[in-house]
Amino acid sequence: MLQKLYDWIDDRIDITPLWRDIADHEVPEHVNPAHHFSAFVYCFGGLTFFVTVIQILSGMFLTMYYVPDIENAWKSVYYLQTEVAHGQIVRGMHHWGASVVIVMIFLHTLRVFFQGAYKKPRELNWMVGVLLFFVMLGLGFTGYLLPWDNKAYFATQVGLEIAEQVPFIGEQIKILLAGDAHIVGAQTLTRFFAIHVFFLPAALFGLMAVHFLLIRKQGISGPL
Amino acid sequence: MHKGKGMKFVGDSRISAEKKANMPKDYSEYPGRTEAFWPNFLLKEWLVGAVFLIGFLCVTIAHPSPLEGMADPTNASYIPLPDWYFLFLYELLKYKFASGPYILFGILVIPGLAFGALFLAPFLDKGPGRRPHQRPVAVGMMLLAVASVMWLTYESAEHVDWEARAEANKPVASVEVDKEDPGYKVFESNCMSCHGDSLQGGAAAPSLIGIDRSAEEIMKIAQEGTGSMPPGVFKGTDEELKQLAEFIVSVNEQAK
Amino acid sequence: MSEKKQQVSRRQFLNYTLTGVGGFMAAGMLVPMLRMAVDPVLQESAAGDLVNVGLAVEDITNEPQRVDWKIDQVDAWYESKVGKSAWVYKNDNDEIVALSPICKHLGCVVSWEGSEQFPDQFYCPCHGGRYHKDGQNIPGTPPTAPLDVYESKVENGMLYLGMAHPRGEA
Repeated sequence: MLQKLYDWIDDRIDITPLWRDIADHEVPEHVNPAHHFSAFVYCFGGLTFFVTVIQILSGMFLTMYYVPDIENAWKSVYYLQTEVAHGQIVRGMHHWGASVVIVMIFLHTLRVFFQGAYKKPRELNWMVGVLLFFVMLGLGFTGYLLPWDNKAYFATQVGLEIAEQVPFIGEQIKILLAGDAHIVGAQTLTRFFAIHVFFLPAALFGLMAVHFLLIRKQGISGPL
Repeated sequence: MHKGKGMKFVGDSRISAEKKANMPKDYSEYPGRTEAFWPNFLLKEWLVGAVFLIGFLCVTIAHPSPLEGMADPTNASYIPLPDWYFLFLYELLKYKFASGPYILFGILVIPGLAFGALFLAPFLDKGPGRRPHQRPVAVGMMLLAVASVMWLTYESAEHVDWEARAEANKPVASVEVDKEDPGYKVFESNCMSCHGDSLQGGAAAPSLIGIDRSAEEIMKIAQEGTGSMPPGVFKGTDEELKQLAEFIVSVNEQAK
Repeated sequence: MSEKKQQVSRRQFLNYTLTGVGGFMAAGMLVPMLRMAVDPVLQESAAGDLVNVGLAVEDITNEPQRVDWKIDQVDAWYESKVGKSAWVYKNDNDEIVALSPICKHLGCVVSWEGSEQFPDQFYCPCHGGRYHKDGQNIPGTPPTAPLDVYESKVENGMLYLGMAHPRGEA
């Protein structure tokens, strides 16, 4: 039955080569921890992706309860955390995942760096990876404000003040982020929410697609 | 790939009607013992992932994510702190060469150089050698950067009493104290001078909201004291004592 | 040949294990999230308290009259006052009847003698649905069920109303 359905689809859009390319490639010995235990350092990239998936899923579910509004944001998070079954766990996954993903990216970056894996012909993928790192930091910065508790509010205020110190365009950057020249408030929260939930994830998906495509195209770097 | 005349398509699409056997890419010249990605290698990766997930969920369940009280812009005494992975940038701004008139060093030049160099690493470190000892400058710079990031983060985090911070900023459940309650009248004349007019506590005594004690315990403490509270503070009848204890318990039930 | 067969079964075994481990990971991630998402479905629907609607029993006549009152509604983190209304009268056995004004057709609001053509009936202006005084829908008009009935009680001579329930269920 399933086989027939698959054949029916494959007849029309020829999907076999798409997944065969991914499924059939051979993984070299030097990245396989079963052969060399030290190859576990190659896990960090995959774990980064795994935590990113956790972040995306838990984030999607959290927006079922969250409102980006200064009156209600904190109340909705408090409600989610105290009243909703497993709400505390899902928020915990998103909260701790944000930290773990930074750690994993950091370790992955160090692995690639110290192995010199970014050298020709993989320069482009290294740069995409560094951009991904920046996007993750941006997600961390914008997400920190969303619960609208004291630490979120004051940390964001400091962050915006730092942005304001940038010469020439500092003022504009700050207003662009905060939505107001003097107030960190309602408009700041909605902007940070939009950036955290739509703009940065869109950038993240695009960059991740390129990152993985390049890995498949170029293959993993050889042993040292 | 077959091209030109004589090709057959599915309908008017560009999908070839002739099925060819799927030839996996040839890896015969690949060095070492290779292994198919699906399912052999992926299984190992997922086993690592599953173990990781168990650990992650344990941490998540053991440590509920913190939530402080609702943002209060008028709270002038709050000392802001960024998330831990920004602490090193935050700490950098405390140094003389990165603050005051040199603030641009702190916020633009130093981080800009560091992250710019990270971004452009493949073009700064162009030699063919990949081993760390073949490129001492790049590796040295990276080690220095990692060491300074860790040092700055440590310096910044070390001065913070995280537990006291978390305790002081716990969200306060909002309770409405019923000032018509007969128990409140008793509270007013016996306890208010130290515990505040809405049980919020003060310099001399802690808050009575969010305590986990039974009416009997409260009655006992009111008469005999506890900690820095001296005995004999309560001066009233047994009836009043009972009203007081019930009142405090009812406020705490509301706060739950 | 036998070796070939073994090869296949090994690959199959790995595939099953892979599916199992993948399923475990997906479950580990998704179970808390799905439990959180379906939480409202699993909440016991709170039996609403009966609320004093501000109508003295002695003022209730045989003629249906409209009463409006407000209830405190707690919607997760949002608390508000929500208006409700009912048609209240005494039936022939001197029992108090409180009918919901929500038409069982498409949820418009019915009113007593809302049309001059149909005295002694509830009339819905949207599609001309009609009900007898006891809330029974009149055959041949759009509604297919009688009007909902409020839980009610009398205390200290005042009328208290709770939730509206479909007839026959309450």
